Amino acid sequence: MKNFLTQIVKFIKEIVLAIKEGDLFVKFSLLIMGMGYFGRKQMIKGIIMTLFQILVCFFAWIVAIPYLIKIPTLGTVQREMIFNLDTMKNEVNEFDHSFKILLFGIISIFILFVSLLIYFVNIIKVRSLQLRKEAGKHINNFSEDIKEYFDKKFHITLLFFPVAGIVVFTVIPLLVVIMVAFTNYDQTNMPPTNLFTWVGVQNFQQLFTSSITITFGYSFKKVLLWTLVWAFFATFTNYIAGILLAIFINDKKTKLKKMWRTFFVVTIAVPQFVTLLLVRNFFADTGIVNTICQSLGVTEFLQNIGLVKQSLSYIPFLTDPAWAKVMVILINMWIGIPYLMLIATGVLLNIPTDIMESARIDGANGFQVFVKITMPYMLFVTGPYLVTSFVANINNFNVIYLLTQDVFFTMDQYLANSNAKEIDLLVTWLYRLTQEQYNFKMASVIGIVVFVLCATFTLLAFNTMIKGNREEDFQ
Amino acid sequence: MIKRFIKPTFRHIFLSFLSLFWLIPIFWLVLTSFSGYPGVHISRFVPSSFTFSNYQLLLFGADTVAQFPTWFLNTFIIAVFSCVISSFYVLMVSYAVSCMRFKLRKTLMNLAVILNLFPAFLSMIAVYFILKSFNLTNSHIGLILVYSGSAGLGYLIVKGFFDTIPASLREAAKIEGANEAKIFTKIVLPISKPIIVYTVISAFLAPWMDFIFARIILNSGISSDWTVAIGLYNMLDKNLINLYFARFCAGGVLISIPISILFMIMQKFYVEGITSGGVKG
Repeated sequence: MKNFLTQIVKFIKEIVLAIKEGDLFVKFSLLIMGMGYFGRKQMIKGIIMTLFQILVCFFAWIVAIPYLIKIPTLGTVQREMIFNLDTMKNEVNEFDHSFKILLFGIISIFILFVSLLIYFVNIIKVRSLQLRKEAGKHINNFSEDIKEYFDKKFHITLLFFPVAGIVVFTVIPLLVVIMVAFTNYDQTNMPPTNLFTWVGVQNFQQLFTSSITITFGYSFKKVLLWTLVWAFFATFTNYIAGILLAIFINDKKTKLKKMWRTFFVVTIAVPQFVTLLLVRNFFADTGIVNTICQSLGVTEFLQNIGLVKQSLSYIPFLTDPAWAKVMVILINMWIGIPYLMLIATGVLLNIPTDIMESARIDGANGFQVFVKITMPYMLFVTGPYLVTSFVANINNFNVIYLLTQDVFFTMDQYLANSNAKEIDLLVTWLYRLTQEQYNFKMASVIGIVVFVLCATFTLLAFNTMIKGNREEDFQ
Repeated sequence: MIKRFIKPTFRHIFLSFLSLFWLIPIFWLVLTSFSGYPGVHISRFVPSSFTFSNYQLLLFGADTVAQFPTWFLNTFIIAVFSCVISSFYVLMVSYAVSCMRFKLRKTLMNLAVILNLFPAFLSMIAVYFILKSFNLTNSHIGLILVYSGSAGLGYLIVKGFFDTIPASLREAAKIEGANEAKIFTKIVLPISKPIIVYTVISAFLAPWMDFIFARIILNSGISSDWTVAIGLYNMLDKNLINLYFARFCAGGVLISIPISILFMIMQKFYVEGITSGGVKG
């Protein structure tokens, strides 16, 4: 961060210096961007820069300014039908579309900001051209400039399209969504028929209020808690069980190692939405597992010990909050353990065998080798993976959504009021808020919370990992 | 003597039991796909009669609900295009941040880490509206852009691989007079075949496995526009499941076959990728 600030200060100083000490052409390029190049006989570059300047001005006049002046209110003219005396028909008036104003406003700010950066960089470039000329050094012609982009400046060529893609499909959308969190964009304020506007931090307050009408606070607490519990169990059950399975299969005494591994890997190769939807039907209230449990007397047994309510004639695997929570963690193990087995196998094969051998010669038993050698090595190599998979589990949409959507219904009126369910993670709640309720403002707020959660966790984890830097332990 | 015999047996019985547990849903998928009864069997695991008609109907008897060949073709086209674009993006970004040194390198990489922490479909709400204002929702181009647009963010694994290529190799080429573009295409890419295979296959598989983005972008309800994932999901709708469950299973088997083959090819690199990436930046 500090480094970043000093770089900005350096950049500003460079600009000031360039303007102060530049010759006439440099000073002129403040007005017309191509001027500095024309002065050094770089005609094509001069024309390109000037054209760029004209385009940006044009864009600012036609697109940016009309949208930007509406940003403070996000539009004032509501859509309505007006009787047009000329055509004798009802016509739609020229209404404001709040979302478009927000979207194009942000795009405009972004483009203008980048153009401004290019404008300043241009001054520095022109100044360095002047210095080169004064020093009598060679000045590139246009084709030499182009060649640079395949050599010293190749990174610009490489990064241009990917970064543009990231800006258009990630950065700008994220900025827009973060802005939406400060507006009242929901079902009752939906463009094009209605306008929405800025409301400050009201939505964030709402997320922490619980009253009779607003139950977001109540739901948020429950969903957040379950998200954390889920992420913890989903990550560590898979991690530990996967490693144990890998060790078990890799043991000398196990025959046909490849075959066993393939059995588990087959389950990865079937797409998750197929297996999850299948398993959902497997465990349905009137599904095959229930039929089998019924005929084996398991249902009755569970009723007798109080795990299934007497009023139910089936086991509510995916329909009762407590059952469903246990089931999704178990089914997630079914999904995840093969992955971990695969990864752990790869790591295990890389453990230096001499360490293991000498430990055995010193008289360590299997358990001691596991605790003292295998696990530390495993944690060392897969530590970063463990962190990313915890974050991925906070965002694990597929398992929860595919297993419980259309099946699980909440009985808790408070949760239902804010469109949450007991089984929801923050992300599935967010998704259903947008897709079913069009409650974009609260969805955005939840999205920001998810980000803060993931970011804090990652930073903490990586910091402790880097502090305990033990790179040399296993080398 | 007895102990030495029993222990390994127990070990293998335990493994068989576990494998069986893991394979039951797969068996059920395959068995049901041949079932003579179109709905969900709730009373028996093995169907009462077997038939090929589910596959036949799925492949040759498309109706308004099940248009598997069209979906397959749609998904294939989307997968090919997004695979090409995202593979290029990933390889380009990886080379730039791994093999070249420039001013904003560290800053860009840190930004990428931050961006990756946002839930992917948070931005989808806005992407949807951006695509909508360009009339690209409910079109395959829109979906291709969604899959491949930000692909550059997923560069870590390939970068990890490029990092292991000795710098001396590139230095030598530079002395011979090769420019960076040549080093990238003529030296680094040819020796990176394994990681390219990994990148290409994983980019190709993403659209086959994805459900949520396709559902947001292709939301018109016109089934001939769909991808396999949404199409199959829709077959399990409450009103359709009793007519289409067996066909759903057949569809599941059909797309699992190519996916399994591709997955087996890239399995090796999958492990390498995860264990070689990580904190080093």
